[in-house]
This record gives sequence, C-alpha cells and structure tokens, in this order.
Amino acid sequence: MGDSWFTFSLPSFFFSFLSVVQEGVPFLLLGSLMSGLIDQFLPSRTMLRLLPRNPFMGICAGAAMGLVFPMCECGIVPVIRRLINKGLPLSNAIAYMLAAPIVNPLVIISTLAAFRGQHGVEFTIMRMGIGFLVAVLAAMAVQKMPVSAVLREGVIAPDGGVRDSAPQGSIPSRLRAALGISVSDFLDVLVFFVIGVAISSTFNTAVNQKFIDALASNVWLATFSMMGVAGILSLCSTSDAFIAATFIALPASAKLAFLIFGPMMDLKLVFIYSAVFKKRFVLGLAIGLFILVGLICVRMNITQL
Amino acid sequence: MTTATGLQRYLSSGVLMIWGMTLTYFYFSGRVASYLTPAFQTGAMIAGIVMILLAFGRCFVVRDTDACCQGECAHVPKISAQLIGAAILVIPLICAAAISPNGFDASAIKNRGYVDNVAALPGYKPYQEPALPTDNGQASVPTSTPAPAAAATASSGSTVAASTDNAQQDQTFIPRNEAGQIKAQTIDLIYAAQEPSMRSDFENKDVEMIGQFMPARGNNPNGDRFDLVRMFMVCCAADARPVAVTIQTKSPEKVAEMSWVKVVGKATFPMVGGRMTPVVVASEVKPCDPPEDTFIY
Repeated sequence: MGDSWFTFSLPSFFFSFLSVVQEGVPFLLLGSLMSGLIDQFLPSRTMLRLLPRNPFMGICAGAAMGLVFPMCECGIVPVIRRLINKGLPLSNAIAYMLAAPIVNPLVIISTLAAFRGQHGVEFTIMRMGIGFLVAVLAAMAVQKMPVSAVLREGVIAPDGGVRDSAPQGSIPSRLRAALGISVSDFLDVLVFFVIGVAISSTFNTAVNQKFIDALASNVWLATFSMMGVAGILSLCSTSDAFIAATFIALPASAKLAFLIFGPMMDLKLVFIYSAVFKKRFVLGLAIGLFILVGLICVRMNITQL
Repeated sequence: MTTATGLQRYLSSGVLMIWGMTLTYFYFSGRVASYLTPAFQTGAMIAGIVMILLAFGRCFVVRDTDACCQGECAHVPKISAQLIGAAILVIPLICAAAISPNGFDASAIKNRGYVDNVAALPGYKPYQEPALPTDNGQASVPTSTPAPAAAATASSGSTVAASTDNAQQDQTFIPRNEAGQIKAQTIDLIYAAQEPSMRSDFENKDVEMIGQFMPARGNNPNGDRFDLVRMFMVCCAADARPVAVTIQTKSPEKVAEMSWVKVVGKATFPMVGGRMTPVVVASEVKPCDPPEDTFIY
C-alpha cells in the first residue's frame, strides 16, 4: 500500500481538509472584514494621493505594502478586490497581492527561524528580494494588459471606474454596509477556498511523497518539482519555511523556489484568484510565475547555501 | 426584495452559522488540538465566534439595500447558483466534521514518509557545541542552541529539558514513571541520536514510550521489529510528519496497525547507514489508550 503512488483515504482526506480550513479561515475572514471597512471608510482620494505618480514606483510601493499591511495569501484577495474598486491601479494591486504573502514581517521572522543555522539571513533576504522582484515583474506585465482581460465581470463597478471619492452616509449605516460587503466577499472567496483545499488535501494525503522526492535529482528538476510540490501542498506562507527547511537533500534554489512560488500560486489560490480574475488570466499568471520563479532560482545557482 | 435577494440573506446567514458553530465546536470540544498547534487554535475559535455574530448581523442588521447602494444588487447570483454555492460550503464541512477521525490513517502516514533523522524534522536547528571559555574565563558567545527537543515538544509534556553543561541538573528534569524509567517521546530519541549531550541522557537507559504501531519499513528479516510513530505538527495537521523510532522485540508482535502501544525498553543508538539511529530494545510492548495530545507540537 505504501509503495503505490496514489492511495486515497476519505477519513485522512477530511482530516487534512479540516486542518487547512481551520488554519486558513481566520485569515480569510480577517481579509474580508478589512475589505468591508476599506470599502466604506477609506476615501479613494486619500489612497490615490499616497500612491507615487510614477507607475513603476507605484508598483514597487504596492509590492512593499505588505511590510506595513501584512496579509497572508488566503486573506488578500478580498482586500485587493476592494482596493481595485477604490481606484488602486490593477498593476499595483497585483504587486501587493503577489508580494504581501512573502514580503511581510511575520514571514520574515518565520523564515529566519526555520533556516536558523542554515544560512537563515541569506535565505530570508533572497526570499524577500526575489519575491519582490517577481511581483514587480508580474505587475509590470499586467500593466500592459486591458482590465477586461484580467478581471472577471462584476468585480469592478459597472461604469468601470472608481466607485466613490468619499464614503457617504452615517457611521452606523456605513458599518452595516461594511458588514454586508464583508460577508459577501467572505462567502464568495470561501467557495473557491474550499474547492482548492479539497484538491490540495487529496494530493497531500493520497500521493506518495517519495515519488515526488525522486524527481529532485538535479537542480532543474528539483527546482521545478519543488514548485509543483508547493503548488500541491498549498501551505500557509507563515509556516512553509519550516517545511522547506527539512528538504535537506535538495539544492537551495529548489527550496527558494518552493518558498517563493507557493505563496504566490498554489492549488487553493488558483480557485481563490478565480473569484476576482478571469480563468484565462489565472492560468497565464500560474504558468508565468512558474517559469519566472523557476528560471530566476535556477540561474541564481545558489547551490552552496 | 426579490426572491433571489431574500434567499441570499438567509443562505448567507445559515452558511455562516454552520461554519461558526463548527469552528467553535472544534475548539470547545478540544478536537482542535488534533488539527492545529496551540498558536492557531485561538484564532480559529475567534473566527468561529465572529462568524456566528456575522450570521446574526447578516440576517437581522444588514438591510438588503445596504449592498445595493453601490450597484451590487445587480450581481445577486441566480437561485440555482446560490444553492450550489451553499452546498459546496456546507456539505464538505459537515461531512468532514462527522467523518474526520482526528488523525491520519496508515496509508496517509506511509504516503507522507517517516522522519527518522532529526535533520528531516521541520524546524530543526543543527546542534552547536558549547563555546570554550576565552582567556579571561568568560564564555565567548552564547554557548549552545537550546536542545530543540525541549522547545519542540514542551507542549506535549516531553522528556528532555534544555540541555545544559550540568548533566546532573538535566537528570532532575527528566520525567520518569513510577518504575524509574524515563518517559520519552519518539522525537526525543531522534534528537538524541544527533546530539551527544542528549544521547547521554538516554543511551542504554530504560525508557517508556507511547506511540502508534506500524510495521517495520525494512531491515526486518526476523519480523521482530516495528516502528513506533508519533505525528509532529508545525502549524496544522496537513503539515504533520510521522516521527518514527525502530522497536526491537523478542518475538514478532501481533498488534493492529496504527493501534496505540506502550513500549518499555532500553534505548540504543547503533550506526545504521553511516549515522546513529535510535533503536529501542523492548522488554515489554502492550496496547494502551491514546495520550491526551496525540500529536507532538
């Protein structure tokens, strides 16, 4: 039984499913509550005034925003959805979405802790740096795309523009509206989260890991297969470093690719992103990130770490 | 108010209520301990309570016109889509809560691969020998990393206290059973195999261990070996890894796979494949009840 590459067990599947759900839902809920408050209480004028006017600097600011507003990958989608509605340029939102689960204080601490004694500082700096770079590059590519090719219909206001310049109404009515929006956003994304967790739990429990490990025999294979593993396992970015640190036989580039690609794109995120973005865009983003992260990590040739 | 809008209100409230109650049930029943490390348990409980409050809020406080004021009413899904969405959210959760056994079964554990080498343990920090005193007699730098086993297993009542230079002092912190045998975890022996100061606490000493019985993976020509397994969790059960120690018995054991057993025996650390590997030479193996915390955090 243990030597078969696939052995499905319903109880184990549900066990893994429930554990990821219980870990991820609080973050998803937090993101949704923030999205409601952003919608009702953040004047778009204020936000746009704070953004650099230069598009490239705006993207960089978006990618660094996680240092100030840390979010994990589960909770960030409702937030960027509202920020886009508030007038945040799509490219800036993409930069924030991709970078924030990596470039944030919690992840910095957990990566340092997990790799302590294994070049932890270097690993953490490279994870942050490459994560930031990839997010900026992806956002610059999105900048050249029409919004209609990226966002699902109905994600932004029907007129396609900014909904409001300043929230209106009394505080209680805005709180009521924020609550309604939070619930709506939460349930919208939760559906995709549940589907993604179900698929990742299937792989997590049914696929024999040694068949995946066997792929990691050289740097190229190891790097790209570890990104595949990150995509399948769908770990939280605050904890994935502890798992990556155990892959002692793998080259550093493979571990780095695991740590950068996973928080940006995994099975559950494919479904969560689909709540906001067009399927074709999500697929393109997944392929693009897979290739970009893989090539950067392999070309870094950091086999000595 | 259209039928679709009204349905959305009650479905949303119902889904939130079911999710909220499930999360709070798992927390207050204690089942959450099998799914999450303590660091995440409170968050899950708070999320459950917030979801229950949101369910009431969505049902009784939020007016259907609140979301419409910005044109969102145009996007109220069709009734069929709402029902499918609610089914996706509720059915798997209820099935999972009802069926989930609070632990992985044997096939999932085998698929995850055993950890029998401390370097493959999540969060492991390589051991550093204590720094020698400098010329002025002071320790040059903070001496050694704390024994990871102590940190890693503190919440599960593990055996090993922080390693210090004073072995005598260590001994006083090592918990023992009434017969004077050291109460050890699989993870303790995995660490001890790597770290000399910890190894001296266990080597050739009688230990008592509790874990799940799994057939030996190999190197078992006489059929008198099995693996004693405990799951080690970093954040949630999905990232848990089975930590295994080989048990050598006098004769083949007839114990059901995955059943909980108590092993009493002598801890040894023979060289296997070029590295020290913990093997407990058992004098007694008997079935027992699962421990309060089935996972090691």
